[in-house]
Amino acid sequence: MNPILQARHLTKRFPGVTALRDVAFDLQPGEVHAVCGENGAGKSTLIKLLAGIHPHGSYEGELRVGGRVAAFRSVREAEAAGIAVITQEFALVEELSVAENLFLGRPPRRGLRVDWPELHRRAASLLKGFGLDLPPQTPVHALGIGQKQLVEIARAVDKQSRVLVLDEPTAALPASEVGVLLDHLRRLRAGGTSCIYISHKLDEVMAIADRITVLRDGATVATRDRAATTIPEIIRHMVGREISDLYPRRRDAAPAGSDLPPHPRPEHPPARLETGGREPLLEVRGLAVARTRGGPAFLQDLSFAVHPGEVLGFGGLMGAGRTELLLHLFGAWGHRLRGEVVLRGAPYPAPTPRRSIERGLVLASEDRRRHGLVLGQSVGFNLSLSSLGQFTRAPGRLDRPAEHRRNQALFDSLRIKAPGQQTPVGGLSGGNQQKVVLGKALMTEPAVVLLDEPTRGIDVGAKLEVYALVNRLTAEGRAVILVSSELPELMGMSDRIIMIAAGRIGGEFERGDFSQEALLAAAMGRTAA
Amino acid sequence: MNLRFPLQNLAMPLALLGIGAFFALQEAAFLGPRNLTQLLVEFSITGTLALGMFMILLTGQIDLSVGSGVGLIGGIAAVLVFHHGWPAPLALAIALAAALVLWTAMGTLIVRQRIPSFIITLGGLLIFKGLFWLVIANATVPVSRGDEDNLYALLTTYYLPARAGLALAALVAAAMAWLGWRARRARTAAGLPVRSAAREALIRVATAAGIVGLALLCNASRGVPLSLLLLAGTGGAVYFLSQHTPFGRYLYAIGGNEEAAVLSGIPVARVLVGAYMLMGVTVALTGFLTTAYSGASTTTVGDLMELDAIAACVIGGTALRGGRGTVAGVVFGALIMATLLNGMTLLAVSPEIKFVARGVVLTLAVWVDVKLGRK
Repeated sequence: MNPILQARHLTKRFPGVTALRDVAFDLQPGEVHAVCGENGAGKSTLIKLLAGIHPHGSYEGELRVGGRVAAFRSVREAEAAGIAVITQEFALVEELSVAENLFLGRPPRRGLRVDWPELHRRAASLLKGFGLDLPPQTPVHALGIGQKQLVEIARAVDKQSRVLVLDEPTAALPASEVGVLLDHLRRLRAGGTSCIYISHKLDEVMAIADRITVLRDGATVATRDRAATTIPEIIRHMVGREISDLYPRRRDAAPAGSDLPPHPRPEHPPARLETGGREPLLEVRGLAVARTRGGPAFLQDLSFAVHPGEVLGFGGLMGAGRTELLLHLFGAWGHRLRGEVVLRGAPYPAPTPRRSIERGLVLASEDRRRHGLVLGQSVGFNLSLSSLGQFTRAPGRLDRPAEHRRNQALFDSLRIKAPGQQTPVGGLSGGNQQKVVLGKALMTEPAVVLLDEPTRGIDVGAKLEVYALVNRLTAEGRAVILVSSELPELMGMSDRIIMIAAGRIGGEFERGDFSQEALLAAAMGRTAA
Repeated sequence: MNLRFPLQNLAMPLALLGIGAFFALQEAAFLGPRNLTQLLVEFSITGTLALGMFMILLTGQIDLSVGSGVGLIGGIAAVLVFHHGWPAPLALAIALAAALVLWTAMGTLIVRQRIPSFIITLGGLLIFKGLFWLVIANATVPVSRGDEDNLYALLTTYYLPARAGLALAALVAAAMAWLGWRARRARTAAGLPVRSAAREALIRVATAAGIVGLALLCNASRGVPLSLLLLAGTGGAVYFLSQHTPFGRYLYAIGGNEEAAVLSGIPVARVLVGAYMLMGVTVALTGFLTTAYSGASTTTVGDLMELDAIAACVIGGTALRGGRGTVAGVVFGALIMATLLNGMTLLAVSPEIKFVARGVVLTLAVWVDVKLGRK
């Protein structure tokens, strides 16, 4: 059979970096072909090339679609050829309704006017077919991140594209919706649609892909039939080394096996970490929080504590309130109705991000492009942004050399892959951007670190580095609160897990009692019987 | 980007050269020391206001009220001196305090009530204009009584004696070379990239030659104008603030991504109000300079100066969306604007055409800004 899409000798150079070198790739009709690889392996560049974002002429090599040489000059031309790309950033208009977004640019018409009844009817049937229980009139800004992704996928599916390119489609989806998506892809495959599937979740890849191609450092390392390979083999190809333990949570003091260099000490360490004792670093009693002043309680009856050296995991379904809880503790969300928060032995009634950072509580947020980074500025600018006080000398002058040294130490110890700390952060891969977000949090020398989905959309190698970092933080006597949608990660990395269900505690589990079934049951508000 | 930057750096000097050459060909007096000195005073006025606007634009905000504000603050000081016989320094101080109060109030409204700065300062534009005309009672109020020289009038009429000007220029040139050398050493020690020694030396020598040359040029006419020193001082202060203090970093961060700035623990509200207060200070300074330059406060003082200031910033590479811009660029942009206005006045271009030309320049500058911002 002739491949529907074929790439030969693709080479793409950026100033200073070769992002793709001599890549070969093909896609058969009715095939799901997964592409795996670490941060910066070239996956995003490959997609951008297929999508027409990197226009023809800006790369070397040949791209054929349906047997004919394709020379896309723009995204429109790629779309016209039947290639639909769904990226990690949503291409939805927030202020418009779901229905309007589904038919954006191609609404059903009656004469010159938009045929609204027809549009809503078709939108409703499309959503129903996709297993999405949503009124088509819902404005997109009211949707959760997972629902937005599903709407975008539904739109591409409806456009009858011959090739669907899915870039981390399940990064934000809860398990139940992942199943729906994969079922849908299988149905599409049976209908002859081909799919390029990019994901860091290898279980998913094994569940859906017919073939798997691994990229490393911009080159094709291997292409395997799914049946003829295993997850360990793929990981080995991705990182170029064996990884025995995916979740290396270490509870002993020294992260001996970690190959990270020691945590660099700041030049003026704020002597903030109290030593010894089992006093909790953060304690929450009977917390209830409303979305806005005067609104109903969204989070209720939350009581928990986290101690030095401990990782407290928070799990739950999408929209259960995990992210909101972290944002509230940090001082960036909601109106507190009841309850008490005690931070390092002192009551902390009116949090703001600034006060939190001063008192040793820091948040690395989930949406790093929106909440974490100033994308137009350099890596160094972002790393030190929360910690400029450390480098301020009288009379308010920044000691830029000292700042630069501290940035460089973090840059090196986090192994941020970039030409240097002057590189604009917007051009880095997801994993490296995440490292910058974490580095910014670490530089504040926090006692309690709130991590919201710290490994979302980043590859296995970078994940391992994040886990090693968590181990290092707890070994230093800090406390970590970890929010994650991936149960294996949550179970692997937490000392204790609290499942949140509809804004309340659905269950609390000690490390010995972790089981996916019990956790899921608690997330859905059922007690594990 | 690597290709674009040198081009961009060259574009402005080339534009300035072209504009200068055009005016010089039309009217030889343009290059005469007398006109050039005058041009420098006008440049000081535009530049001072643009430096304040720069800090506002960096945060992604805008201030449309500064033109009216310039008239009002200059008017208050003129009325206190001329009608009430106050000593000029006291009158200037009171007017400065008034500017601080007004801009603190506007900044606070924008931050606390979350009203877009466009609206608040548009209101300010009208309110200040009305207050201005009330204060001066629609009359012409000279900045000094009779022919006596006071501090107010001297702001734009005092020129340093030739020797003093030259000495000061030499001193500044030496200080800049020394500071540059020290910064270079610190950068090397910290492992930061530095320019090659030859390039560095070339830049240092060129800067020093430029400063001394400027002083010599001024001395060919009446000397280094005091207003130019005020601009230099303001420029130095804004440069230090924007590049060497946390406040400056925060301006860039807020303009780049305000949500991330809040979550990074930046006191966004305080920084924004601070930026408006500094805007108030530069409005007052500009108000004093421009009123003194026209000799009296009249109803048209400050008209449309907000647009000249914004144009200067944008021509100098400041992004209207915030987060990008340099002090050197703004000063250069102000020089281009001042040259345009000065040249057109010299050629006795009719006011109608002057309006059109200003509008075209502003539109072109924003168009280029949008083009650059999109890549």
